[in-house]
Amino acid sequence: MAACTQRTGALARLIQNVQFHHERMFSVFSLRLQAAGSGDKPPTFTPPSKPVILDKSKPEEAARRFVSPEFIPPRQRTAPLKFFLERKDMIQRRRVLNIPEFYVGSVLSVTTSDPHASNNTNRFVGICIQRSGKGLGATFILRNIIDGQGVEICYELYNPRMKHIEVLKLEKRLDDNLMYLRDALPEYSTFAFDVKPVHLSPTQEVPVNEMKVRMKPRPWSKRWERPKFNIKGIRFDLCLTPEQMEHAQKWAEPWRQYDMLKEYDTSTLEEKIYQEVQAELRK
Amino acid sequence: MAFSSMTLPKMLTTHYRSFSVSTVVTALQKLTRVRVVDNSSLGNSPYHRSPRVIHVYTKNGVGKVGDTVLLAIKGQKKKALIVGHKMPGSRMSPRFDSNNVVLIEENGNPTGTRIKAPIPTHLRKLEGDYSKLLAIAQRFV
Amino acid sequence: MAVWTCRLLRLSDALVYRATAILPRTGAGTSPLGSVLVHCVRTAKTSTWWDEHLTADNVEFLKRDVAEDYSRLTAAKLNPLKDEPWPRHEWEEQSRRVGLVAVKLGMMPMWTKSGDRHVVTMLQVQDCHVIKHMPKDEYDGRSAALVVGAKNVSPFYRSVEYLEKFQNAGVPPKQKLTTFRVTENAVIKPGTPLYAAHFRPGQYVDITAKTIGKGFQGVMKRWGFKGQPATHGQTKTHRRPGSLGPGGDPAKVFKGKKMPGRMGNVYDTAFGLKVWRVNTKNNILYVNGSVPGHRNCLVKVRDTVLPRHLEKNKNPPFPTYFADGDEELPEDLYTEDMFQFGEPLPE
Repeated sequence: MAACTQRTGALARLIQNVQFHHERMFSVFSLRLQAAGSGDKPPTFTPPSKPVILDKSKPEEAARRFVSPEFIPPRQRTAPLKFFLERKDMIQRRRVLNIPEFYVGSVLSVTTSDPHASNNTNRFVGICIQRSGKGLGATFILRNIIDGQGVEICYELYNPRMKHIEVLKLEKRLDDNLMYLRDALPEYSTFAFDVKPVHLSPTQEVPVNEMKVRMKPRPWSKRWERPKFNIKGIRFDLCLTPEQMEHAQKWAEPWRQYDMLKEYDTSTLEEKIYQEVQAELRK
Repeated sequence: MAFSSMTLPKMLTTHYRSFSVSTVVTALQKLTRVRVVDNSSLGNSPYHRSPRVIHVYTKNGVGKVGDTVLLAIKGQKKKALIVGHKMPGSRMSPRFDSNNVVLIEENGNPTGTRIKAPIPTHLRKLEGDYSKLLAIAQRFV
Repeated sequence: MAVWTCRLLRLSDALVYRATAILPRTGAGTSPLGSVLVHCVRTAKTSTWWDEHLTADNVEFLKRDVAEDYSRLTAAKLNPLKDEPWPRHEWEEQSRRVGLVAVKLGMMPMWTKSGDRHVVTMLQVQDCHVIKHMPKDEYDGRSAALVVGAKNVSPFYRSVEYLEKFQNAGVPPKQKLTTFRVTENAVIKPGTPLYAAHFRPGQYVDITAKTIGKGFQGVMKRWGFKGQPATHGQTKTHRRPGSLGPGGDPAKVFKGKKMPGRMGNVYDTAFGLKVWRVNTKNNILYVNGSVPGHRNCLVKVRDTVLPRHLEKNKNPPFPTYFADGDEELPEDLYTEDMFQFGEPLPE
């Protein structure tokens, strides 16, 4: 058993040295590791291995773990070194600019330096309706209604013009993309600029706002009732008849969920990147 | 109850349709319906036909923020300046839910005395004299 | 067979086994037609896979041995005391340096200190060595040339002639070989490793690579023809080329007429791309804009030939950057106006 743990430890070190040279290979390796080592992680600390495990499970309950989605590389045949280098630059930037944890549906206040605005800064408050892009090109869109005029701004997370990002209300919504707020009644995307941030303790689970929005009369910018959007946050019963909802199912593609080529399990990758980012940020 | 509660708020149910049928991706071109956002009487009095672009004063016929267009409004021709459009511009710059214009005279002075909608700050960066327009703006994003 | 004699000397038992095994193979190959075809498809030069008659242990051993060989060869090239270096000359106005062969990694955004966004292509200089020096009379009589290769490959699938080139230089075999014309004062000894620091931030480069193959394409995609309208009485004519030219007078189609055909997969050069940043540790070049070729393809990078950028390319590391030189470089080199992600906020 001891020899086995030693070997797994050596293997783990070897994998660290390889530095994501083969992510696919790594995932297989780590799976085998877990199977073989059955929990014993550190090679030298064989006796107190059990308490270590308990400690590991405790912080998970204690503090939320969050990896910003732009850290997860897209699934493609690019050398993992490219993403590693990009991650390094992102961490460098995060040392200077605090990019908090936020989700689609959270209300944010973003201060940017703007040479064309008064006193060179520009503050905007709005609800995050979309997060997109991977790596340094990551963006998010804030939406608000100012003086009855819907305004959206697409911010680049790593743009040097970003000065300050503050989460006014940390919450999730039923959907991962709230583009339908463009076609919803304006009250759902109206947010005052002078709100106090609502504090959420780092140990608490991020609440999911189960609000369902009422829509403007059709036509909408997209046919949100279609199955490909899979929208849960719209009161379809108010604007569409059951026949119309039934009709929308014509575009359902139920076989998609069985497409194994589309599967992309990022859990191991996410864990590894979380460890790496935390270690780098603590330096 | 359901449908009655879904009527639009007052400010959006003005004298023309609340949604735009012009394409989103091409900014302003000929026959685009626009929203006049200043307080001029010409742009705010009701009329059975919404103001339309009948000419864009650019080389490629596509108008973006800062470009001048010719409007057909209440049966007469009037020049206007684009101050916001539905098409997303460059990142870190605002995108609006409607195609906004401000009416201007032949000499470039704005007709109204106040602009009701927010104005993008990068209008300041653009070439051209927008100082009178920026002076009557209420709010910038 | 001849390919493997040099590599298998130490495995005499395998060799003997192999020699005996070859005979029945060739005999069997002649009788049924199907097996003959299979043999043709397999490989043109030899009739066996390289490890077909080796035990698993021997294959393992050979692979390990080759890997050790490669690292030993590479390390030997880093030792300056091994043999006499070639004389180094000073840079002059008309000098033409050698270039690099690099792997295209991908693209990423980048900002200047004034807040402008640019996109850069990341190119990794991987195992790049000078392979051969061709003097003026040997090359084409007009200028000397250097052959440069990059990206180590397995020797088991290469011909003897190909491997010989690398044996002469004393470096591992490479996937890609390119020739650079250089002036006489810029020649470098074969076997010298080349690094990304060969290029410096602020200078301009030309990048040559094979474009992504698009297959057989029509004229609208291949040459940007306009095509025909969708409606108004068109009969089966929407994306066709239309007329090929005048009729009776020339009575022919002119040479070079743009027609449908294979698109892409040809060498293309992007001229005058600025180098924004150089990572000396991982040997990465950050080059402005897009570069021909797909991800992970090997591209040829050299100093630009555009006259308008010659001013920026003055006094480069000449004839190349030597790792054992006195010059101590930081991990990242940036142009002055480039925003560095670790630095505090501008404005």
